Amino acid sequence: MLRNDLDAQLLEAHAAKDRPALIRLYQVAAAQANGEVAAGFYLTHAYVFALEHGDPFAEALHARLIAMGRDV
Amino acid sequence: MQTDLSSIHRPIAQANGLPNAHYTDEAVFAEERDAVLHATWAGLAVCADVPENGDAKPMEFLGLPLLLIRDKDGDVRVFQNTCRHRGMILVSEPRKIGGAIRCPYHSWCYSTKGKLVATPHVGGPGQNAHPDMDRDTMGLIEIRSHIWRDVVFINISGQAAPFEEVHADLIARWAEFDKPLYHGGADSTFQLSVRTNYKLAVENYCESYHLPWVHPGLNSYSRLEDHYNIDESGKYSGQGTLVYRQFEGENGACFPDFDGLSDKWLQGAAEYITVYPNVLLGAQRDHAFAIILEPTAVNHTVEHIHLYYAAPHISDEMRAKNTALWKEVFEEDVFVVEGMQKGRYGPGFDGGRFSPAMDGPTHCYHAWVADRILEHRQKQAYAAE
Repeated sequence: MLRNDLDAQLLEAHAAKDRPALIRLYQVAAAQANGEVAAGFYLTHAYVFALEHGDPFAEALHARLIAMGRDV
Repeated sequence: MQTDLSSIHRPIAQANGLPNAHYTDEAVFAEERDAVLHATWAGLAVCADVPENGDAKPMEFLGLPLLLIRDKDGDVRVFQNTCRHRGMILVSEPRKIGGAIRCPYHSWCYSTKGKLVATPHVGGPGQNAHPDMDRDTMGLIEIRSHIWRDVVFINISGQAAPFEEVHADLIARWAEFDKPLYHGGADSTFQLSVRTNYKLAVENYCESYHLPWVHPGLNSYSRLEDHYNIDESGKYSGQGTLVYRQFEGENGACFPDFDGLSDKWLQGAAEYITVYPNVLLGAQRDHAFAIILEPTAVNHTVEHIHLYYAAPHISDEMRAKNTALWKEVFEEDVFVVEGMQKGRYGPGFDGGRFSPAMDGPTHCYHAWVADRILEHRQKQAYAAE
């Protein structure tokens, strides 16, 4: 996905408070990020929205952040 | 300003009621907030306000921002609705919490049990932990609460004796009614916004003296002489009747009775009692009600009325008709409690007198309020020494 498209979709998902879309799009952003700090940043957002939404995938995202040394 | 409460504790025939300032003065109201409403078990809401797991309802009690929530395991809890990070209000409208409560400011997240579970970027971008940020010590501040007859009681000071201990006698008195209560749903709840101090709503509710004058419709089947006073000094008060008439729908249909009631209740007794300081309860063979008096200002109260039944499925039509009947009765009381409020701006009024025969329950309430205030003043004086 092109960066501009991704940004547009993220803004749209935020405006619509579309949690499943936010969880998915922030993971895409993490996968495309340049460097671990940026990846950690986007994964954190995916994790927080998954946590808020009660998405069972939150646990796996949390585990990834812990493995990256970015959460406890 | 400290009010003089000495005349309240005289025998009822000589006693006066609480001075006007307890109904009109902001400073006295603030004292009463601490001494009475924060220090005891006050009614906040009913569990039916959050019927499903994850339901959350922001509320205010005397300016305190609270969050009523049914957690993921079904337990109803009360938290301060305030993020432990920068004090942001967490939930601003009633909604379902699917997973965690996310603060809308910096997205700190809390479980429905109040545990702080995520602190995004707290250690810098993409770094969600910091050695000095111990999540285990930064959960939501929980307000001590207790559920009885579906009412959520809160003790804000955290210092009151356990609810079951404070209200042991009342719980025992109504032990037969310790059965599942089924809230009638959206058509069985309504609010009345009343320009009165909350205590006047209690005082009016406690006594049967006014019934033939204010509710003349009751005279046809529930005469004044059929009522009795309930005044348990230092505990609770209210009134009872020996001739409760069941609500009847089309073709004489009645609501089902609560299971296992003794003849006393089945032959016509019903009771209407105030759980001090601000909850009015009614117990009858076939339905019950709870009224939470929300003290919104020294001279304003919102009455939240909820009707309950002995079974989960009740005819819609009968339920709606019953709600309408009760609404009419409670609305008949509005001019009285608003009138008594207005009357208390007259400086010559000395708290009034009590009928020794009829006003025992009201005097009992005044004495209880006065005791709480005197107790509070004593503690304040002790702390100041």
